[in-house]
Amino acid sequence: MNANPPGAALLLDGRRDDDRTLAFAHDAIMDGLAAGGWAVDDWTLRDDRIAWCAGCFKCWTQTPGVCAHRDDGRTVAERWTHSDLTIFLTPVTFGGYSSELKKALDHVLPILQPFMQKRRGETRHPQRYARRRDLLVVGTVPAGQAEGPEAQTFRRLVERNTRNMQPPRWAVAVLESGAGDWEVRVAVDALLAKVGVKPARDAVDASRQEVVA
Amino acid sequence: MKAPKKALLLVGSPKPGDSTSGSLGGYLLEELEKRGVATETIRATKAVRTEEATEGLLAAVASADLVVFSFPLYIDSLPAPAIRALELIAEAPAAAGAPAFVAICQSGFPEVDHNEVAIEICRNFARDAGFEWAGGLILAAGGMVGGQPLRKLQGMMRSAVKALDLTAEALAAGRSVPDEAVRLMAKPPIPKIGYRFMANWGWRAQFKKRGRGGSLKDQPFA
Repeated sequence: MNANPPGAALLLDGRRDDDRTLAFAHDAIMDGLAAGGWAVDDWTLRDDRIAWCAGCFKCWTQTPGVCAHRDDGRTVAERWTHSDLTIFLTPVTFGGYSSELKKALDHVLPILQPFMQKRRGETRHPQRYARRRDLLVVGTVPAGQAEGPEAQTFRRLVERNTRNMQPPRWAVAVLESGAGDWEVRVAVDALLAKVGVKPARDAVDASRQEVVA
Repeated sequence: MKAPKKALLLVGSPKPGDSTSGSLGGYLLEELEKRGVATETIRATKAVRTEEATEGLLAAVASADLVVFSFPLYIDSLPAPAIRALELIAEAPAAAGAPAFVAICQSGFPEVDHNEVAIEICRNFARDAGFEWAGGLILAAGGMVGGQPLRKLQGMMRSAVKALDLTAEALAAGRSVPDEAVRLMAKPPIPKIGYRFMANWGWRAQFKKRGRGGSLKDQPFA
């Protein structure tokens, strides 16, 4: 797989509490991206005031492309648009995203145009911008539930998102709570590789080889 | 499930005024009332705003033996405040009984497929929270309702009205949402191609009326 040249990543961290496994995943992703020379917009959503998207559609009909409400939610579409890779971190919540992640995600509506077009048998809204970004999603479930019904719903949800967001490449992983740091790092490296980010361990190994040479 | 004495409608739409989710759920509640079921309505956005409001939501859930959750599709899933309400309900101590839980999901797309994952999420919630799953209904082309009372649109929305009538009859008798109601609710009120044409015309008309210059295709962050 071709590696992405280093670019800009937007990390939407939807942790509701100190989820240890997601913390490991967060650190592994940050390490992997840093090793690859990526600039990361690391956004801990629970720390910010983002009003619920009110479903007013003013971002379509009044100020196209921009949320009409002036709070941190307004910046979601802008930060999203400027990224080459978007990352979601979330506890799997009934098979979906946490309310913390979703409060930001609901604000990506302005990246779409309001028009309806039929595409591959389903109606879709066209993308407002030509630029696309890869998508990487990590969710956590209780131990022993990685293949349970909620994990399966979660994977289906991410697949659904990709039909609307149209990432060139995407990857999803459901990790079990209690997974160790190393186990999480191995999973994250595999995910990063799927979206074209060279794993951190490879970068470290390469730099070691350069030193030896 | 048993025949309910009290039903709670939880409206998951974040819209401050009239909403299609409120209209669909409200119609079902009126039909349940006609069959002797006491009803209460709570909006998710208000219920998660303060601790006091959340306590009110939890008390209402605890006293209901049927919860109807009506919400719009947001980015392939539930709106954030609706998820927050479900998180709070699931985290609260389980009620003595196991209330029945019904989900109604509507979206502006003319196909029901978009909403299926959201219904699955509701089903998972019901299991996690110790509720009894009583079924889910999906309405496509929700733009046809546009927050208006369903009774006002009877002719155009006759399949949805019939679906909700059948649902009320079944739930009031202690039965789950009938398959026929699911089928009727999923029936598009007009052909998809016509709906897309009308929707696109509608967006242009709204922009002409409300837009502050530029174009519907503006790229402010390009």
